[in-house]
Amino acid sequence: MEKPVIIRIVFIIAALVLLLKVAQLQLFDKTMRSRAQATAIEKQVQYPSRGLIYDRNGTLLVYNDAIYDLLVVYNKIDPQMDTTRFCQLLDITREQFVDNLKKPWGGQFSKNVPFVFLSKIQPQTWARFSEHLFDFPGFTPRLRSARGYAQNGAAHVLGYISEVNKDQISASDGVYESGDYIGTSGLERAYEPYLRGAKGVKYILKDNIGREVGPFEGGVRDSAAISGSDLISTLDINLQVYAEQLMANKVGAITAIEPNTGEILAMVSSPSYDPNLLTINQNRGAYYAALAQDSLKPLFDRTVLAQYPPGSIFKTVVGLIALQEGVTTPYRSIRCGGGFVNAPGDIRKCHGHPAPTNISIALQYSCNAYFFTLFKDLVNKYGFRDVENGLDNFYTYLSNFGFGQKLTSEIDYEATGFIPNSAYYDNVYKNSPWYATTIVSLGIGQGELSMTTLQMANLASILGNRGFYIQPHLLKQIRNQATLPNPDFDRKKLVRIDPIHFGPIIDGMAAVVTSGTARMAQVPGVEICGKTGTVQNPHGEDHSVFIAFAPRENPKIAIAVYVENAGGGGRTAAPVAGLLVERYLNDTISVQKKPLETQILNTDLIHKNARS
Amino acid sequence: MTTRGTAPVKHIDWLTFFLYLSLSVIGWLMINAAESSSDPNTTGFSFNDGAGKQLLLLVVSLVVFWIFFFIDFKFWNTFAYIIFALTLTLLVLVLPFGDKIKGATSWFNLFGFSLQPSEFAKMGTCLALASYLSYHKTKLRNRKHIFVSIGIILLPAVLIILQPDPGSALVYLSFFLVLYREGLTHWIYVIAGIFITLFILSLIYTVGSVFVLILAVSSAIYLLQEKRHWAWWITYAALAITSVIGLGLGWQQELIGAHAIFLMTLLILAFRKARFRILILGIPSILICLGFSYMSRFMFDRVLEPHQQDRINVWLRPELSDPRGSMYNLSQSKLAISSGGFQGKGYLKGTLTKLNYVPEQSTDFIFSTIGEEQGFLGSFGIIAMFLILLVRITMIGERAKSSFTRTYAYGLAGILFIHFFINIGMTMGLVPVIGIPLPFISKGGSSLLAFSMMMAILLKLDMARYAY
Repeated sequence: MEKPVIIRIVFIIAALVLLLKVAQLQLFDKTMRSRAQATAIEKQVQYPSRGLIYDRNGTLLVYNDAIYDLLVVYNKIDPQMDTTRFCQLLDITREQFVDNLKKPWGGQFSKNVPFVFLSKIQPQTWARFSEHLFDFPGFTPRLRSARGYAQNGAAHVLGYISEVNKDQISASDGVYESGDYIGTSGLERAYEPYLRGAKGVKYILKDNIGREVGPFEGGVRDSAAISGSDLISTLDINLQVYAEQLMANKVGAITAIEPNTGEILAMVSSPSYDPNLLTINQNRGAYYAALAQDSLKPLFDRTVLAQYPPGSIFKTVVGLIALQEGVTTPYRSIRCGGGFVNAPGDIRKCHGHPAPTNISIALQYSCNAYFFTLFKDLVNKYGFRDVENGLDNFYTYLSNFGFGQKLTSEIDYEATGFIPNSAYYDNVYKNSPWYATTIVSLGIGQGELSMTTLQMANLASILGNRGFYIQPHLLKQIRNQATLPNPDFDRKKLVRIDPIHFGPIIDGMAAVVTSGTARMAQVPGVEICGKTGTVQNPHGEDHSVFIAFAPRENPKIAIAVYVENAGGGGRTAAPVAGLLVERYLNDTISVQKKPLETQILNTDLIHKNARS
Repeated sequence: MTTRGTAPVKHIDWLTFFLYLSLSVIGWLMINAAESSSDPNTTGFSFNDGAGKQLLLLVVSLVVFWIFFFIDFKFWNTFAYIIFALTLTLLVLVLPFGDKIKGATSWFNLFGFSLQPSEFAKMGTCLALASYLSYHKTKLRNRKHIFVSIGIILLPAVLIILQPDPGSALVYLSFFLVLYREGLTHWIYVIAGIFITLFILSLIYTVGSVFVLILAVSSAIYLLQEKRHWAWWITYAALAITSVIGLGLGWQQELIGAHAIFLMTLLILAFRKARFRILILGIPSILICLGFSYMSRFMFDRVLEPHQQDRINVWLRPELSDPRGSMYNLSQSKLAISSGGFQGKGYLKGTLTKLNYVPEQSTDFIFSTIGEEQGFLGSFGIIAMFLILLVRITMIGERAKSSFTRTYAYGLAGILFIHFFINIGMTMGLVPVIGIPLPFISKGGSSLLAFSMMMAILLKLDMARYAY
C-alpha cells in the first residue's frame, strides 16, 4: 500500500475511534444517560463515632455528644432570605453571617460546591434552627460528634480532642482532612488510631438545583464508616474523683498503681479543670485561653510533667542498693549525733531521733547521717579516687528503677526526671576534681535529682513487689480485642535487687507508719508501708511527699502523693495517702478517720499562700 | 493569467478555506457559550470577555490570511530557516522574560494580549523541516539526514519542556508523520507502537501478566515462522487457555515459568537446527520487551511525580483516582458530553456549561460544550469536518508539484491531527489529559493566529500549482 493511503487510513481510524467513544457516551451508555440531569458529584464523608472510654469497673467516662456543622452552597442561597431571623436562630451577628459567606472564590472554594458556613453548633441551638431549615435553601446540616464527660474528673488522663493542624494532615497520609478532630493529650492522644475508627465516603450525583439523583457509579466507590474501638481504662473513677476532692485547693500530684499489674488506678494533677470545658463547642477557645493563662497552670499535668526532688523517700533506694552491693549490712549501726560531718567544716544537720542501730530504724526515723554514710560507701566502693565508677554503678541501678527515663509508652509528652552520672559532674566541675563529699546530698534525695510523681509511685510499686515493676499503663483493654496493644503491659521488669534485701527496708517502712514519721497515714486493719519526704524548697514552705503500698503482703495499691508547699511529708501527703488507701481497699472511710478527712478536705494551701 | 504575487481568489482551495472558516466561527460561538455562564451580560461582541477577544482575533487572523496571499510563495521556502530561527529566539526569550501562568513560563504579555511563542514555533518547525526534507540532497535513508531532521523537531520541543509545558512539546512528535511520508521506514513506527502498548498494558495489568503475554506472543511468532507440527500448536493452545484462566486466579509466577519453559524448548530446538538468525534477533527482543515492561512500572511508581501519576491513573486506572480530585475535570467533562444525548440541549442551554461545572471549558475542554449543547449530531459534525480537512490537506500535498509544498502539507496535517485526536480524546478519557488546544476552536489568540497563518501558507503554496 502506498504511504499516503496508509496515512489517510490512520486518520480515518482515529476519527472513527473518537466517534465511537462519543456515540458510546451520548447514545449507548445507559448509566451515563440515566443521569442526564446530573450536574455534580458530591463527596459526602461519613464520619465514624469515636470510641468510648470506660473505667476499670465499667463506668462510662467519655461519650459522644451530637454537634452540627452547617454547610452551604453559595449559588443556591435565596437572595430574598430573611437574614435577620436566620442570624437570630443561630445566635450569630450579621457581620459573622457576611464574613462566613465571603470566601476566596476559585481554588478551594466554588460557588457551586458546599462549604462549611458555621461549625460546632450545639444541640440546643440546632434543635431551634432545624425546624426552620427548609426556609433557607442552600443550607444543609452535617452531624459530627464532640466529646462529653460523664464524670467530673480525670481531665488530664482522658485528655481532649481538637482540630487537626496542617502538619498533622500532611503527615497522616490522607487519614485526616481539614476540620477533623484528633486526640491531643491523654488517652485520646495515646489511642487515637483505635478511637478514631475509619471514615466512610459516599459519592452522590446531584442535579442543577441540588436534588440527589443517585449514587455515583452505582455506589461501587462508597464505603461505610467504621466506628472507633471502645477503651477500658485502668482508672478507678471513684478513687480518682475522691483523690481530686482531697487535693482541692492544694497544688501537687497523686499517682496510684496496682503493683502486680502496673495498672494506674488514679492520676491526679491539682489544680485540675472540668473536662467538659474543653469539649468541642464554640466557647472552647475562651475556656482554653483562661485555663492556659491561670497562674496555677491547671492544664499542666503534674503527675508526668512536674519533676520534683524526691527527698527522703529516696533513702529506700539508697538502702536497697547499698545492701545489694554489699557495702553495708542490715544490722550496721551508724552514729548520728544530730549531725553528719561530711567534710571538715561541712556539717549536715539531722533531726533528733533515737540511735539508728540498724537500717530499719534509720528509715523509720529518716536518719540523714545513716544514708549519707551508705551513699558515700557506695560511691567510694572502688576507692575515693574512682568515684566515677562508683557513681555510674549507682546510676545503673537507678536506671533499672525507671528513674531518669520515660516510664509509660502512652504519654509521649512525659518528662524523664533527672539522675546525674559521672559525665554530668565531670562537665559541671570541668577541671577541678569532685568526690563523694561533693555530691553527698544525693544520698538523701536532694541535690540534682528529680522525679515525676509517676516514677515515685512506681518506686512504691517496686518496693511492694520486692524487686520488679510492670510498665505503668492506663489501658486495661481495647474492647473486643483479646490482646493488649503493648506486650510490655504484662512483662515484669526486674530492678536487679535480691528480694531478700527488701525485708529490712519494708520493716522500716512499716514502722514509719506505725510509729515513725507517717502515723497520720494509718488505716485501721490494714498494714501500710510508707516513707515520708520533706523536700526543702528555697521559694517557700517545704514540699510534702509520701510513698506507700498496702497491704504489706500482696499489696493491692502503691501510691505517691506530692503536695507543694505543704510542709513535712507526714503532715499533708501521708494522711491523703492513708485516706486513699482506705477508700480503695475498704470502699469507705472509717468513723475514727472522718475528722481527719474533713480536715484534709478543708485544708486550703492555695489561698493561704496567696494571702501570706 | 496569474502572476506570482497577486492572488486570484478563484484558485484558492475553497473546501479547505471553508472548513477553516467554519471551524473558527464555531469556535467563537462555543467560547461564547462556555463563557456566558459566568456573566449573564456577555454578548460575544464586547472585547472585555473571552468570546469578544476571540472574535477580534478571528478578524485579525483573516487579515493576516489575506496579507499572506500577497507574499510570493517562494518566500516560505527561502526564509524557512530564518523564520525557524526567529521562533526559536522567541522560545528562548520567553524563559527569562515571559509571564508565569499555572506554573509554566509560556507567555509574553503584549498590550493586554498574551502571546504564546510555542504556538508559533510549530509553524517555524514545520517550514524548516519541509525545507530540509524537500532539499534534493536530503535522503531519509541516510542516517545523518535522519538525525538532522529529528534535531529540527527536538530543538523547539526541548525549549518548550524547559517552560515547562510537556503537553505542547508532545505535539512535536506529530512531525514523525511527515518523516514517514518522506521515506522513514515503517518498522520504527511498529516498534514504537509495541512499546506504547507494552507501557499501557504494564500500567493497567500487573507486570507478571504482561510477562506472560510477551512470552506467549514470542512463542506464537516462532511457531508461525517455523510451521511446526500440529502437536506443538495443541500444546500451545492448551497453555494459552490455561493462561487466560490462570491469570484471573493469580497464578502469575507459575504461568511465567510454564511459558518460559515452552519458549526455551523452542529456542533449544532452533539452536540444534542452527537457526541462529532467529536466536540472535529473537532473544534480545524478548529480553528488551520484558525489561521495558518492568521498567515502565518501576518508572511510573518511583520516578514520576504524584501529579503526573494522577494524570495517567485517571486515564488507565480510574478506580485509583479521587472523583472529586484528579478525576474531577474528566468526569465532569464526560458527564457534560453524555448529557447532550443525540440532539444536544441547544445553543446556550447547556446546564453544566452554564453552571461552570467543567473546569477550563472554554480552552482545553471546549469539546464538552459542543457535546452538551449540540449533542451527537454536533460532535459528529466537528469530527467529520476535521477528518475531511485532514484528508484534504494530504490531497493538497500529493497534488503539489513542489516537494516543499508536499512536505509542508504533511507537517501541518500531522500537527492538526495530533491536536485533534488528543484534545477530543482527552475530554472523553480516551487519552490522558494533556493541555493542548483544539485547533481553531479552543479559546486562545496565539493558537488561532498561528493555525491561521499555517493554513494561509498552505493555501498560498497550493495556488502555486497554477504558477507554471
